Amino acid sequence: MAKPVVIVVGADKGGVGKTTVSRTLLDYFSANNVPTRAFDTEAPRGTLKRFHPEITEIVDMTTTADQMKIFDTLNAASPSVTVIDVRAGLLSPALASLRDIGFLDAAKSGQITFAVFHILGPSIASLDEIAETANFMQGAKYFLVKNFINNTSFFEWDQATYNSYFHRIKDATELTIPKLNEMAYEQVEVSSVPFLKFVANKGTHDEAANYSFVLRGYVRHWLANVWSEFDRIKLTDLVGSTKGARITGEK
Amino acid sequence: MPNTPVYIICSPRPLVGKTLIARMLTEFQLLKNGAVLAFDINLKEPSLLDYLPAVTESAEIDDTFGKMAVMDRLIINDGVPKVIDLGFHAFDEFFKMTEEIGFIKEATRRGISPVVLFIADSDRVSPRGYAKLQQQIPAGAMVTIDNEYVLRGELPEAFTAHGRTLHIGALPSFLKTYIDRLNFSFTDYLRGEGDSSTELHQWIRKNYISFREIELSLILPR
Repeated sequence: MAKPVVIVVGADKGGVGKTTVSRTLLDYFSANNVPTRAFDTEAPRGTLKRFHPEITEIVDMTTTADQMKIFDTLNAASPSVTVIDVRAGLLSPALASLRDIGFLDAAKSGQITFAVFHILGPSIASLDEIAETANFMQGAKYFLVKNFINNTSFFEWDQATYNSYFHRIKDATELTIPKLNEMAYEQVEVSSVPFLKFVANKGTHDEAANYSFVLRGYVRHWLANVWSEFDRIKLTDLVGSTKGARITGEK
Repeated sequence: MPNTPVYIICSPRPLVGKTLIARMLTEFQLLKNGAVLAFDINLKEPSLLDYLPAVTESAEIDDTFGKMAVMDRLIINDGVPKVIDLGFHAFDEFFKMTEEIGFIKEATRRGISPVVLFIADSDRVSPRGYAKLQQQIPAGAMVTIDNEYVLRGELPEAFTAHGRTLHIGALPSFLKTYIDRLNFSFTDYLRGEGDSSTELHQWIRKNYISFREIELSLILPR
């Protein structure tokens, strides 16, 4: 039986694109035929759930009942990959909870594959987040995600300062999410469909849609760039999948 | 349903005869099909919109709205040929966008036949623009225009590697001035001029035949 994989996507700051990255991950796994389930911790109304309702469940990670719902089902659940979109400000407490329930030890001993996608914000506070998160990262794959999707003036820190924080975490890997055309991003938001369905010109229930060809083109181009970053970090290897033919969306 | 052709007349250089060719091609399509839709992305130069306002729409591609307004209509296989008069200022942005959104691939999928008519010039910018197009546009969809009025000598070798070539002969100055009038129509001239031996008559006919050959090359299997 495949080893369960848990991917936590989080940041201690809001509006840095956690859910966007989670959505690209779910699309990536879907395209690579990796069965995946997702948990959205933005209770009671989750954004991730809006885009991927079939595979997403809204949970409150601060409650024991919901922690059980996620982690007690890791071995039992058929999808081998679990993506958790952690609400803003909840990353460090969530990691602390995982440590307390022995999850991090299980990851360290190799029973579970655990990866954290830490979405960085524009401020120097993000660097402190890295330092804080670093304490929990033994046994985890740690990815620092520089998200340029909003085209904000991210990451204008002094490189030496950034490196000093970055190197505190052994084997941390940097990822870059490029900018997506604003109107294309907005249109996908309005349509409430996964990026992949938008590219394929399909609605929520796979019905034919009528999205702009230009906007679909921009999304396809952007998604390909994001996925090439996931390919670069060998994400499918991490989740133990043998990469077959990828579905590119458009048919 | 036969493919819908989309002609993109372009050059990274101003004043090389883009609008003249766009005018002639638009009139040819109108004569042949009874319908044509032209887009003028050329508002900083002599404008197609001034010549053929009934079938031409002005377009901007500076922002996403403008790009959608043009490209979302170009991709419709409605049987109405499209002609784009692409200004030199929009050359880079337009082809950057078409590459990014995968225009050529999507066009093929939807039964659209894009044809890029690139007007060669002897400056240093044109071969660079041509080389960029070579990477994006298949040879079968690329036509290099050898406009005698622009290139006095032979077509430089840099423009002969990809696709076919269409030669546009130079007209004497007085005829050039005549056809540059806003109310001049190539088709009306062919219909109205009884003497088919005139230089202008033959020049228009020759160019119309060249356009027809391009169309045939789209229909016939490559």
